[in-house]
Amino acid sequence: MTEVTSNSAGLLVLGGLALFWVGMLGLLWRRSLVGMVVGLLFGWLSVALAGIGFSGLRTTALEATNGAMFVLCVVLVCAIQIVLGLSIVVARISRNGTLDAQDAELLEG
Amino acid sequence: MPSVVLLALTISVLSGLAAILLGRNLTRSIAAVGVSIVGLAVAMLAAGAGFLALMVTTVAALVLISIQLFGWMLVDVDRDHLPSTDRMTWLARCLAFLLLGAGLLFLGWGAETQGILRSPVKLVPFATPAIMGEAFFGPWKDLAALAGLVLSGGLLATLMLLRDDGENR
Repeated sequence: MTEVTSNSAGLLVLGGLALFWVGMLGLLWRRSLVGMVVGLLFGWLSVALAGIGFSGLRTTALEATNGAMFVLCVVLVCAIQIVLGLSIVVARISRNGTLDAQDAELLEG
Repeated sequence: MPSVVLLALTISVLSGLAAILLGRNLTRSIAAVGVSIVGLAVAMLAAGAGFLALMVTTVAALVLISIQLFGWMLVDVDRDHLPSTDRMTWLARCLAFLLLGAGLLFLGWGAETQGILRSPVKLVPFATPAIMGEAFFGPWKDLAALAGLVLSGGLLATLMLLRDDGENR
């Protein structure tokens, strides 16, 4: 395994911040529910990227392992969340025939 | 290789931006997200993230494939046929987005100037799968794969049992 450098790990953290901005653009800008799920994907990727970056900045093996375990949990939980959100979007589109977020203010059940 | 990391991250962020801005056409948007994920994978691997990079990339690709599959099945991929947002809402969203960008920029600048993103001592490599298996499962780490297979088998069996349940109500 290659040795991580602090410059690279710091860049990953800054990249995570930039990707979070992009993800929030998707959530704020798009009216399409599918576009919002894409924004959510970027938000999740930004958290994972920042986690990996901060994990790389740790100086002991135990701290690095804790960081990696945090990233592992974040990845699994967020993937489940996005797939669940996508299933709600799919159900809405097939039932109402529209992917407009303005019409999805309430989950009618 | 900080320059490779920087280049890959730049490509990834720009592709992500394109994916959102081209979002009215689903095919273009998904292609841009794919490029962004590849850029991220290169950046993480060049930074030495190892198996964490592979795991994040694999899960992200699976999520993207799900979005692509259901998107292509359910919506018009050429155009989303949504009405344009009214002017005041558009301005409010612009303002919120710019404020968020300024806040994040301030956060990154603060972290950089405070030296949080630099480490004074030699860093350790990222954790390996063997170390993480030990941390998660202790002496039972060799049975972790078996436990995973049992869990996935249980989930699959549950899905098969619940199939067509909605039609029988």
